[in-house]
Amino acid sequence: MSLLVARELAKDYPMNGQTVHALRGVSLVVAPGEYVAIVGPSGCGKSTLLHILGGIETPSSGEVTIAGTRLDTLSDRELTRLRLTRLGFVFQRFHLLPVLTAGENVELPMAEAGVPRAERRERVGELLAYVGLGSRRDHRATQLSGGEMQRVAIARALANRPALLLADEPTGELDAATGQEILQLFRRLNRDGATLVVVTHDERLAAEAGRVVHMLDGKVTAH
Amino acid sequence: MALAWGVRSLRRHPLRTALSLAGIAVASAMLLDMVMLSGGIERSFERLLLGRGFQIRVSPKGTLPFDTEASIAGVTPLVRDLRADPAVAAAGPVLGASLYAARGDSLLPLFGYGIDPAAQGLYALTAGADLAPADTSGVILSRPAAAAFGVAPGDTLRILGGLDPQLAGAAAERRLVVRGLVRWIYDYRGQRSAGLVLPLMQRLSDAVRDDRASFVMLRATSDAAVPALVARLRARHPQIEVNSITELVAQFRQRLLYFRQLSYILGSVSLIVTVLLVATLLTITVNERLGEIATLRAIGVSRASVVRQVLAEGAALTLAGAALGVGLGLATARYLDAILTSFPGLPAAISFFVPEPAALATAGTVLLAAGSLAGLYPSWLAARAPVAATLRAEAT
Amino acid sequence: MGLRCLRFGCALGLLLTVGPSGRPAVAGAQLAVERRLAAELQLRVGDTIRVGPAPDSLRSTLVVTAVYQPRPEPAAVMRRDRQIRMHLPDLAALLGHPDRVDRFGIALRPGVPAESAAAVLDRVAFGYRAHPSAEIASESSETFVVVSRFHRAIGVITVVAGAVFLLCIMLLKVEERRLDAAVMRFVGVRRRTIFAALLLEAAVVAVAGSTLGVAIAWIAGAATNAYYRRLFDTELVFSLVTPGIVGFSVVLSLALGLVAGALAAWRLVRTAPLALWSRA
Repeated sequence: MSLLVARELAKDYPMNGQTVHALRGVSLVVAPGEYVAIVGPSGCGKSTLLHILGGIETPSSGEVTIAGTRLDTLSDRELTRLRLTRLGFVFQRFHLLPVLTAGENVELPMAEAGVPRAERRERVGELLAYVGLGSRRDHRATQLSGGEMQRVAIARALANRPALLLADEPTGELDAATGQEILQLFRRLNRDGATLVVVTHDERLAAEAGRVVHMLDGKVTAH
Repeated sequence: MALAWGVRSLRRHPLRTALSLAGIAVASAMLLDMVMLSGGIERSFERLLLGRGFQIRVSPKGTLPFDTEASIAGVTPLVRDLRADPAVAAAGPVLGASLYAARGDSLLPLFGYGIDPAAQGLYALTAGADLAPADTSGVILSRPAAAAFGVAPGDTLRILGGLDPQLAGAAAERRLVVRGLVRWIYDYRGQRSAGLVLPLMQRLSDAVRDDRASFVMLRATSDAAVPALVARLRARHPQIEVNSITELVAQFRQRLLYFRQLSYILGSVSLIVTVLLVATLLTITVNERLGEIATLRAIGVSRASVVRQVLAEGAALTLAGAALGVGLGLATARYLDAILTSFPGLPAAISFFVPEPAALATAGTVLLAAGSLAGLYPSWLAARAPVAATLRAEAT
Repeated sequence: MGLRCLRFGCALGLLLTVGPSGRPAVAGAQLAVERRLAAELQLRVGDTIRVGPAPDSLRSTLVVTAVYQPRPEPAAVMRRDRQIRMHLPDLAALLGHPDRVDRFGIALRPGVPAESAAAVLDRVAFGYRAHPSAEIASESSETFVVVSRFHRAIGVITVVAGAVFLLCIMLLKVEERRLDAAVMRFVGVRRRTIFAALLLEAAVVAVAGSTLGVAIAWIAGAATNAYYRRLFDTELVFSLVTPGIVGFSVVLSLALGLVAGALAAWRLVRTAPLALWSRA
């Protein structure tokens, strides 16, 4: 059974009196355990697609189903809950909360989900160790390097054991060497059973994927 | 965790937060002062009146005690009748009038209290001995009076009353022994006062012919008996004014309406300033952190959690500012009280700024609520921040 | 407002309750009543009223020959005294003291200083004292000196609070523009120009704010006068907005606004553009 099914997604934005068609009839199916890369030039609609798949944005038409649940049937509160418990997000600019430590950033989604404190603390240790940052738990986010911040962001995305991990240009802000570390982490995640959908310019990251979806001008041009 | 994020964000801009705290502290101090002022003098006045336990005042019809130079005639039978009431524990007549005392070749004015030492609520003994009930050769003095005349307990003082400029003489004169020094409860600072037994005071002030007194103080057997006693006395003696302390305080409150209204207005302004300051600071910081807010929403933190953290931030700011404001408020209250208590003729025991724990607790709660509510608009901004658009803007 | 003043208050009307009963009645004498008393008792010229020194000795009948408006007296505004005026011999007879008064006024010949005249009288006085009118005025206005000091203290506290608030707001507003400031520095705009622009903005806000403040003060003053005049039924002026007060307030608010704006602007322009950019 497919984990993610997107059918005929379209997204239009009004801009300066005109309508911008960001997505035009995009369909996508992702099976559990798959590693899918979405590639395309800037402005082709990759990030818009990812936001719609993650329930952050609503399409102008079409539907998305995650683990059998249609997103357009959910209220805003239910969508938020879905993102908290079934999805994990990794952003290009990491988006860690600078006033919290690495450990607290990872702990945040679990606290929101109501996980008991002792269990949270233990899982934070596991996740940071998994991403190779066990010794940086008590460092403020602003004290970490770019690569370390992205690894903390990945740990945060894994906090509530999501069914699906969505990443938007995860190596976009990183140098080649650091990007390579993230690449290896994603490979390991997929090997350990995680389902990944990654939007990227990075050819190395795309090459690691089991399937590459090409987009251009809001359409899927090749799978 | 979301709450920790909100409160810790205040540390990101220390100068901004410090200035906001300073502003809230000053506003809190002002609110604290106005709460103390709003009922302060009434409470102080009530405590003064009840200080010796006399809950009722009997005065000439249509007047308040010592409000005019009016007096009650035939006070001796009146007091006898009042004491006969089973609810009256004590009745003390008082006659106030101007006297003079000799200092060398000159005469200095004194304020004289004619009292019944066995039933008085006007003074507390501080040195020497009190007057005996029928002591017509003794006098008690305030410390300023004793200092002005250079006398101490045991010394003699020549006291005159009823000065006649045509005869260049006094209608009555006595050489009295200073029995003791007292603190007169209703005296203003530096007032020169003397206390004599009532019959002697009546002779010195030419009030003996009609057996006059300025007013009578009554102590009821219990506080619960006061309302019924007042009603009974009013019915029995329609020619005099009978007031409980509660009623006197209410009339006094009307005379000092200005201070109460000023305290309400300035207190409201303080609250408004606090709300504006907290709301402005939070709105700006929310706008600066829209990216973080969008991230929180994207990873599944609910709108309610985001709203809670903004409100918590406002509450934390207000709480910290108010804590700083307490010390400042007490200091400014002391300064302002020193100004207002310099009113001429005001009893030295009166204060305008009186800290009542219940009122201060209410003010603190209202301030905290106001500061928290100030976060409503910025929390609404945070709640409705467009997640996708914000993330897109952050990425570019 | 102190009890001492209350104790020695001596509105003529209240002396009606002073004096023993059994004094000879005064009949047919004239009296003038103040407007408020006439309204409360529904008196008109020609009415006859009974007057006495005590509630149980209202034996004298007098005819109302005039209703007058007393001069507004600040010290008496809070009290509920009501006045009447009688010919001196009639009042003295009513009170049973035909040859006694509380005080009398002395008009001096032109050129005679009041202080020296009072000193001469005091030297020979027995049982009275002479005071120059200016001394009386000064002493009796002591209450209002205290009120003025209190208002001034409140004003100082308010200005301090406002200054802190202003500095905080200016800092916040200027910091919001750090990205703009960074870009301007990148393209070569001098610090001085940015500083001047921010200072000009602060000045405009200060002028606009103080103008609005003056308008609010004028409205609040008018409302205060209207309210208290109605409350105390008096013609006294309670709040006065004078050109001097307006001038002082505008200058002060302008100065505070400029200082706050200058501090905030200085803080912005002394920060390196890259630091501004990265913080944005």
